[in-house]
Amino acid sequence: MVQIDTSVASGIKKIAEQVAAISSFHGYQDTAYYLPISYAISGSGIDSQQAAEQVFAAAHQSPLIGAEILLASRGVREGPPYTGFIEDAVIRKLGYTLVDGSILGLALVVGNAASADYAAAICRELQEKLMLTFLSGGVITSLTDAGVRVGLDLRLVPLGKDSLAAVHFADILARVAMMFGGVVAGDAHRLVAYASERAKAFVIAFPGMTDEEVAFIDALRVLGIPILHMGGYEGHDWVQAGPTDIVRIGMEMRGIRVQVTSIPIPMACSPAFEGKAIRKEEMYAEFGGTRSPAFELLRVRDSSEVTDGKVIIIGPEIDTIPKKSAAPLGIIVEVAGKAMKKEFEPVLERRIHNFINYGEGSWHSAQRDQIWVRVSEDAVSQGLRITDLGKLLAAKFRMDFPTLLDAVQVTMITDREQVLILQKEAESIYSERDERIAGMKDEDVTLYYSCTLCQTFAPNHVCVLTPERPALCGALTWLDGKTAYEMSPSGANQPIEKGTLINDEAGEYEGVNRFVRQASHGEIERCVLYSIMDAPMTCCGCFEAVAMILPETNGIMIVSREYKGDTPSGMTFSTLAGTIGGGAQTPGFIGISKGYLLSDRFIQAEGGLSRIVWMPLVVKEELETRLRAKMESAGLSGLYEKIADETVATDIEGLLTFLTSVDHPALSMAPLL
Amino acid sequence: MTISYSPGWTASIREVVIGATAAEGGTRRISYRIGGESDLPCIGSGRKPLIAFEICDDPALWPDVIRSACTKLVDNPPAWAAYVDTTLQADLIRLNLTSTRRRNFDAYDAVSKTVIAVLQATSLPLIIEGSADADIDSEVFQRCGEAGEKEKLVLGTAEAARYRSVAAAAIAYGHSVIAQSPIDVNLAKQLNILLREAGVPDDRILIDPYTGALGYGFEYTYSTMERIRFAALKGDGDLAMPMICAPSDTLTIKEVRAAVHSHETAVSWEVATAVAAALAGATILVVRHPGSLAPLRTAIDSLWKEEVA
Repeated sequence: MVQIDTSVASGIKKIAEQVAAISSFHGYQDTAYYLPISYAISGSGIDSQQAAEQVFAAAHQSPLIGAEILLASRGVREGPPYTGFIEDAVIRKLGYTLVDGSILGLALVVGNAASADYAAAICRELQEKLMLTFLSGGVITSLTDAGVRVGLDLRLVPLGKDSLAAVHFADILARVAMMFGGVVAGDAHRLVAYASERAKAFVIAFPGMTDEEVAFIDALRVLGIPILHMGGYEGHDWVQAGPTDIVRIGMEMRGIRVQVTSIPIPMACSPAFEGKAIRKEEMYAEFGGTRSPAFELLRVRDSSEVTDGKVIIIGPEIDTIPKKSAAPLGIIVEVAGKAMKKEFEPVLERRIHNFINYGEGSWHSAQRDQIWVRVSEDAVSQGLRITDLGKLLAAKFRMDFPTLLDAVQVTMITDREQVLILQKEAESIYSERDERIAGMKDEDVTLYYSCTLCQTFAPNHVCVLTPERPALCGALTWLDGKTAYEMSPSGANQPIEKGTLINDEAGEYEGVNRFVRQASHGEIERCVLYSIMDAPMTCCGCFEAVAMILPETNGIMIVSREYKGDTPSGMTFSTLAGTIGGGAQTPGFIGISKGYLLSDRFIQAEGGLSRIVWMPLVVKEELETRLRAKMESAGLSGLYEKIADETVATDIEGLLTFLTSVDHPALSMAPLL
Repeated sequence: MTISYSPGWTASIREVVIGATAAEGGTRRISYRIGGESDLPCIGSGRKPLIAFEICDDPALWPDVIRSACTKLVDNPPAWAAYVDTTLQADLIRLNLTSTRRRNFDAYDAVSKTVIAVLQATSLPLIIEGSADADIDSEVFQRCGEAGEKEKLVLGTAEAARYRSVAAAAIAYGHSVIAQSPIDVNLAKQLNILLREAGVPDDRILIDPYTGALGYGFEYTYSTMERIRFAALKGDGDLAMPMICAPSDTLTIKEVRAAVHSHETAVSWEVATAVAAALAGATILVVRHPGSLAPLRTAIDSLWKEEVA
């Protein structure tokens, strides 16, 4: 057992002694970077023994610099298969593959492998996982003796058998940082930042290293490079792991993820099929859609509980499910990832809908325990199984969220008993989630989120998402905006600092105004969050409903997308939508989600729900229970009955007569105009 | 009468250097510093747009009208390049490696050879369009980048879904990158940010807003370009890159295809679209028809007087 402490101390001393004893200096050929590690750290190009001594002294005898000087001064060329010092032109190509993603990271395997089998298996795994692996020391002979082919083009690079050949690993890293990372020689801070954040590297150390080597390898930790071993070392945060785990753990520590590129199922899978429905005649079987119990659930788990790509089926496969029948189905997607958070669950869960629809022979509708899934007869005859839907989900989640998810495991349940039991559990999780956002108030947060997704067709539109005001399309809440930002920090959802409060009642903030002004390219000066009259939010075109003033009634009417008929305003939904959409700010008109009607903040500036004088029956009925509860708690009982719909009136005169007859509160509120 | 004009711009377009002369380490006879404008096109002292002429290394995919206009040249990229340089007198040459579009393409060494041959046949700065297929991007762009090392090429085209290889080649060999987004100001901005995160310096990026053909969506391009320019002049550094426009779609629209022997139709359409793109803020205009060069040059010269006081 090597105590790293003692070994490092002795190594540092030995390196210093040997540097002091150098009799003649040798540099490297074919490089513009002198001794690259020393050059990157100190900014001085070492080209003489004197310079070497000075730089080494100035760097407080750093083993990184000392070892580099020692190795270079030996001036030994080991010859094939050993690469020794690799020239700049080749490093440029290596760096290229690192930037363009053809290789995912760098590994150094060093020491003397007791068993060539372990070393070979580790190197094969590194190759398969698209790592560029460097070898130094005795391990190379073990590998070549065992018949493993090594070479630059095999991504298994034998640096040298010299115990300090590992130095070349660091001189490559230093040059990649200077060539590709904009690191200026002498800027050690930038070098460390680049090495630890961008150049994803780790070391696997076998036993049998000299003290000098241990000192050098240990010093790599300064560059954020973790050192893993399978036993034989103790101390200094060197990480011990088993031979079958060591590569995975190293890659995880550096956040390196293997990309999934193809999905091994007997069904085409592409967004092109997303809009394709499966009609009853084409269907083999269906699940849910009120004809059988079905649900879907996505949960975050600890990485130890999730095996990437694993698909489990509980219950009968498709071939034992009767044709044209409605069978039970539970879809449970379990994900793990360092950056994954519980709050992301609903956003990701929503993607199950897209992904299943990507399948040419699979179709999905609705969400949670309302889902309705069909598979086509065609697809089943070509070999599609329920397990394949699981594989599809596991692969698509990994492909679409490569930085968020490290592992995705899917369980498909077709056993009725199990579906019913697990659905109960899922339902309690759904309500927990609803409560999480339901309880949130705008004043509880300092950041709101923007959504500018619709700027593609409404160039100056900016949605502001607050806990109490979902996006006007109804598809995104504040939490979703937050999540989207964390998943894609340069995307269409950005945080908005609320800044100084200007008007509490109307919901006007300096920070929101500043953001909207900038994000609307200077078009919109102010955005008052809870007002319909004073600088209301812009409208893209996706709103679920429109709220607009009816000046004659001193109130507002609501009309939703699904209502095609006439309204007291004299305009249908589509006419209205065409008038106020496109990113314009139109006082008196706002695009809203239906959910906003249930918010305490709903046009708070103008008096809230009491202003509503008309809405189509379809909305009234959809929201009835929740609207009544809201009105009750706001002391507005009886208001629900006072709101007219198309069965009462579709013209202003009729509406006014009705409002007067029920004494609608809007009639006596402060004038809107 | 005086017109009061105080737009309140606070920033200017970033400068990008294209091509390297012997003094700059390359072999070009001229290099260009583009960008730098601090107002809208044709106002103030902005530079004249440059005209690039586009050639290819496999004419099978090139528009019929161009094949008929360039005849034998289309089978010989170096000769074609020399003709563009000395006879047509374009400012730049864009070499489109259409050979890489063939199924199962793997002649990567031919890519290097073609780039080197064209670099030898002309001393104008070069724009290279590499592959358009993610599967071969890595090999192709590495060859393009390496073959043109020290020449400060412009490499195209980076898109949001595949930009890493272009970016890597630009970083490794000192070139600039064309960043193309589908007529969308926000996606243009996002791609520039992605490129920066990959390590491409801001002053080595050109925005290609995607140029629709006149009558076939150019108005969207125009409006997007305006918005990119406004945002840049108002201080959005993520959009303050010079723009490059290639109205190549104009050569495949049905009016031009129908009039395959009427070069006038092709030229008119290409020139009209290019002039409009210049007015919207394009710094480099890429044309493919040899007849387009002279009228486009005349139009630009008449619009960009030396000094507009």
